[in-house]
Amino acid sequence: MAEATRSGTAMGWIRLLSLPLAIMAALLLFGLLEPRVLTAANLRNIAVQTSFLAIFSMAQCVVILTRGFDLSLGFCVSLVSVAAAMAMVATGSMVYGIAAGLSVGLAVGISNGLLIGGIGLNPLVTTLGTSYILLALASTISGGFPVPSLPAEFSGTFAIARPLGLPMPIWTAAIIFLLLFVMLKATRFGRSLYIVGGNPRAADAAGIPTFAVLTSAYTLAALLAAIGALLLTARTGSGEPNLGGNLTLESIAAAVVGGVKLSGGEGGVAAALMGALLITILSNGMNLVQVDGYLQNIFLGLIIIASLMISRDTGRR
Amino acid sequence: MPEVDSGLLRRFVQNGGIVITFVVLAVVLTAIAEPRFLNQLNLTNVLRNFAFLAIPALAQMMVMTAGGFDLSLGAVVAVSSLITAATMAAAAAMMPGADVAITFLALATVLSFGAAVGLVNGGLVTAFGLSPFMVTLAMMSILMGGALYYTQGIPIYGVLDSYISNVGRGRFLTLPVIMWIALGVIVLIVLLQRTTVLGRHIYAVGGDPRSARLSGVKTARVTLTAYVMASCLAGFTGFLMTARIGSGQATIGATLALETIAAAVIGGTSLRGGVGRAELVALAALFLTVIANAMNLIRIESKYQTLVLGAVLIIALGIERLIQRRGTGG
Repeated sequence: MAEATRSGTAMGWIRLLSLPLAIMAALLLFGLLEPRVLTAANLRNIAVQTSFLAIFSMAQCVVILTRGFDLSLGFCVSLVSVAAAMAMVATGSMVYGIAAGLSVGLAVGISNGLLIGGIGLNPLVTTLGTSYILLALASTISGGFPVPSLPAEFSGTFAIARPLGLPMPIWTAAIIFLLLFVMLKATRFGRSLYIVGGNPRAADAAGIPTFAVLTSAYTLAALLAAIGALLLTARTGSGEPNLGGNLTLESIAAAVVGGVKLSGGEGGVAAALMGALLITILSNGMNLVQVDGYLQNIFLGLIIIASLMISRDTGRR
Repeated sequence: MPEVDSGLLRRFVQNGGIVITFVVLAVVLTAIAEPRFLNQLNLTNVLRNFAFLAIPALAQMMVMTAGGFDLSLGAVVAVSSLITAATMAAAAAMMPGADVAITFLALATVLSFGAAVGLVNGGLVTAFGLSPFMVTLAMMSILMGGALYYTQGIPIYGVLDSYISNVGRGRFLTLPVIMWIALGVIVLIVLLQRTTVLGRHIYAVGGDPRSARLSGVKTARVTLTAYVMASCLAGFTGFLMTARIGSGQATIGATLALETIAAAVIGGTSLRGGVGRAELVALAALFLTVIANAMNLIRIESKYQTLVLGAVLIIALGIERLIQRRGTGG
């Protein structure tokens, strides 16, 4: 509703088009600076990397819709990666590893969800707290080192195989996108996410079980993060305690740049996907024109602030 | 729960009962479990570390009381450490021997830097109404990116020896100079909160911005001031830490965002703004410093210490929430 009325105005159109335009402009700009950017191989690479980031930004989107945040996402990815890898090495079986990884994600999500939805703690500070717990766990159970020699079938299935010509991360991101899109638009749970985030008092009045909605939202987010973590682990071929270091910031940035409102109740997975695409193109382009990795953090920060100013996102916190 | 009980409980909590209990328990239990805790060398160390946490924790409290949040404090500390070392090295080459002047020049540079960061943070929050959390998260990314790019992870040397020996290792009345400085800062902020108009306005703006505005408080200016003061305090922390470490380091503030928020919350600062007392936050910083020291003494790995810190933060949040419910529901 809000989208429709807003897009009636000129400013609305500018906002609606600014992201696709920015994406094309970024591609063109980097393409002019560095011919390798627009090669088929690199575009495929961008698609795969966007898929990874999109999985995480869609996870972030689910909780941001409820006026929340998941600052523990990055270190959840690290812990899942290490735990899944260790389980795989110990049992020699890919299936146990995946089960271990998903269980860790589930456990993290339920804990976050119960603390935030059940006890009603502040999401920001709670997930900041759990993030450090997860970081500690990820670096202690692995001793701080990568966990190598995963079963070949794991990378074979999830990183190398290309069903119908497309790599698994793209399939996974696409399926998650479709499922979440339908869930947010057409299910009662999806709509209650918007109501809880947009207007908590109305949610109470309407008899929506805020507790259950929030708990499910954080659990869903952590499960998605775990799926992304497994795919990343398959790609690197080892469990990495440092896998998620930058992902919290990047996933939030992608969601925000895409236009998911921090004040809750506005935005969707399409926004998270577009945001992920833009951020990936920028970082891919900067890598190819050899911008220092640390400098890229500066740009990431500037992009976040710029997109907040464009969308005039007035989150309370 | 009877009426009287909840009233007593509330007064106990409001006067810092929880935090005082925490500190006393932590000190007594640590002293019993590990007598080396009371060793003079160790206590000196604890007091210094206390100073390094208390000052940025007060900065965090200031912003939170005004209804905001500052995740960039740790990054400001790190960059300020680099600035201190770089300024000292450059100035010492130009005017050798003028140690006191150089030290104050470094301090002035650091405070200007802090003020600039605070102006940007506070400006974006007040002028555009952006989320303080996102703005300061982005600022953290920008500052850390800049610091790591500039140093490539290598420390900056050239800190004045006299600064290291007089401030970093110096003592006054047998206690570390740095602790006295922190005490001075704590007293100043307590006075600011209790006796000045600005202090009252910060509470007003954080507690209920609309009524504050209606009663004539210049809310934007007050919020901006809170961010500027917080960043300046963080810069000052980086300046002091450099005296202790002896070089400029880009990595020193890594967990400070978490630690300062933990100290502020344990000290009773409300996440919704409007509530927060400097002396209690300072006590909470002391509590966190003592348990960190206790874990060092019984040789708990630093990774587990992060875990404990995360858990303590969540427990503190839970307690805050419990009290709120009692307070409003009872």
